Amino acid sequence: MDPLLLSLFVLIVTVAVLFSGVSVGIGLIIVSIFFIVWQDGTYGLAILPEVLFGKLDSFALLSIPMFILMGAAVASSRAGADLYAMLERWLTRVPGGLVVSNLGACALFSAMSGSSPATCAAIGKMGIPEMIKRGYPKGVAAGSIAAGGTLGILIPPSVTMIVYGIATETSIGRLFLAGILPGLMLTGLFMAWAIWSTWRQAGAHVVVSNIKYTLAEKLELAPKIVPFLLIIVGVLYALYGGVATPSEAAGVGAAFCVLLAVVIYGMWRGKALFHVFRDCTKESVMIMVIIGASGMFGFMLSSLYITQSIAEWIIDLQLNPWALMAMINLFLLCAGFFLPPVAVILMTAPILLPIITEAGFDPYWFAVVLTINMEIGLITPPVGLNLYVINGIAPDIRLQTILWGSLPYVGCMVLAIVLLCIFPGIATWFPEFLMGPAV
Amino acid sequence: MLLYVRTVHALSRLCGLAAATMIVASVLIVCQLVFMRYVLNASTVWQTEVVVYLMIGATLVGMPYVQLIRGHINVDLLPLYLRTGAPRRRLFVACVVLQAAACGLIAWFAGHLWFEAASGGWRSESVFGTPLWIPYLAMPLGFGLLVLQYFADLLTAIDCDDPFVAPEKRSPAAQGEN
Repeated sequence: MDPLLLSLFVLIVTVAVLFSGVSVGIGLIIVSIFFIVWQDGTYGLAILPEVLFGKLDSFALLSIPMFILMGAAVASSRAGADLYAMLERWLTRVPGGLVVSNLGACALFSAMSGSSPATCAAIGKMGIPEMIKRGYPKGVAAGSIAAGGTLGILIPPSVTMIVYGIATETSIGRLFLAGILPGLMLTGLFMAWAIWSTWRQAGAHVVVSNIKYTLAEKLELAPKIVPFLLIIVGVLYALYGGVATPSEAAGVGAAFCVLLAVVIYGMWRGKALFHVFRDCTKESVMIMVIIGASGMFGFMLSSLYITQSIAEWIIDLQLNPWALMAMINLFLLCAGFFLPPVAVILMTAPILLPIITEAGFDPYWFAVVLTINMEIGLITPPVGLNLYVINGIAPDIRLQTILWGSLPYVGCMVLAIVLLCIFPGIATWFPEFLMGPAV
Repeated sequence: MLLYVRTVHALSRLCGLAAATMIVASVLIVCQLVFMRYVLNASTVWQTEVVVYLMIGATLVGMPYVQLIRGHINVDLLPLYLRTGAPRRRLFVACVVLQAAACGLIAWFAGHLWFEAASGGWRSESVFGTPLWIPYLAMPLGFGLLVLQYFADLLTAIDCDDPFVAPEKRSPAAQGEN
């Protein structure tokens, strides 16, 4: 069969299998088995366990469970609530201070915990009722938290970026750096929209707060939060300074975060520590199974000559690079609506990377664009995990209100992608400034 | 039937415990590695390889537990569309049979690989030279136990309205006779 026709067949079977309700990881294994048997018979299956093992046999991958443990320790503690309260006290005099502090807390907490739903739950539980109490529109309150929760996959340390780095063999430290400025830009866009829409819908009196806090009140929570922030800064410094590899930095960071959660928040009691390890095991196994299965899927695509054929076909079309980028973005956006970011990256990166590098795009810049696309998937139906988390923690806000409240933030993300296309330096300047040009 | 389900659930929980222990062990070993390498400036021989094998072990052995708590992420559009009741149960059965068949095949071929590694005395190519049957064992074990967990899921699905939800999270009404 013609490889391109075969590609279409693989796509249809993959979509059918994944949409049936099977788990993503095992679904990829099912598709791989089907096509390998179709091509080589059952004889071809003997190699699959070695392919799976080979994919997971990497020291760089170890950083994933380590960063997840780091995040689970932070997410299971009261750090989110304290972070929110501290920022709110510091930013109370800033116009729209409450929503700004909520979004700031979301950005910091999602970077610390690495989990989008955990961020929505931790910050939203306190932030949404407080915003509604002070007159913020329900849609702004719910939408800002749902959107704020997505920032963690862009702002380092981000598991999504690590997976991209491993899938495309690009530097994880450089990817982390590339995510910082776009992450801050996106946070700024979210804040600007939240302030403007609050001012427009509820009036200036809501945006400007009269509550005052003393310096002692402002500093009260710093001893609890600053150590966690220092660990994150330390891990990033170790990475960028070339002091340690991502796995080493993440391992030590995870140990310190668990230790701090135990010391500061007394998490040795009851089942608290058990929950940290249970959540970490669940998340790590789920992601690592998808990674292992994507190894089999990639092997199958490559054996059937699909990866190479699609890349060659698209390059031969000689499309305008920006038309190509628009098509790729649309494709990623659609994939992100249904699949988790890790699965999208692992399934598409090996095919897309040669195409985008051939078209002259920077792979680090592309990582940022791809990640923002994945962020959109987190707050749009049908999957839109964050929408359902917000619906769970704020049941008195209708899902429709949350959805409409989140929609303008999708616009902010699309605007961020457009800005990144016009000014790619937003993603590439910082890593080049600190680490020199990519080799 | 109930005894089988309870035994497999207990085995899956044991797998979860083993996986969590392996993750904790790898964190501690990484800390020891960092201390040896960057504080004592000493060389490290076994640590890098052992932590990678522990991570692989945690991933594969942890699979049955994550299936028990329905932690493997899926696209649940079709299950949600079918809501609860017989059509959803039939879809669940079809999904589980498909997954069990695929995992059974991988377990079978992984068992062959493990046997070859054990009988052939295969070792890793590093200085430490780990006997490869040890890390390879995680594959037939993990996928084999996952198949058992799928069968347990099938048995509980017979009397349950919402089998896509983890057993402990089902509402009493959705639990059926189980």
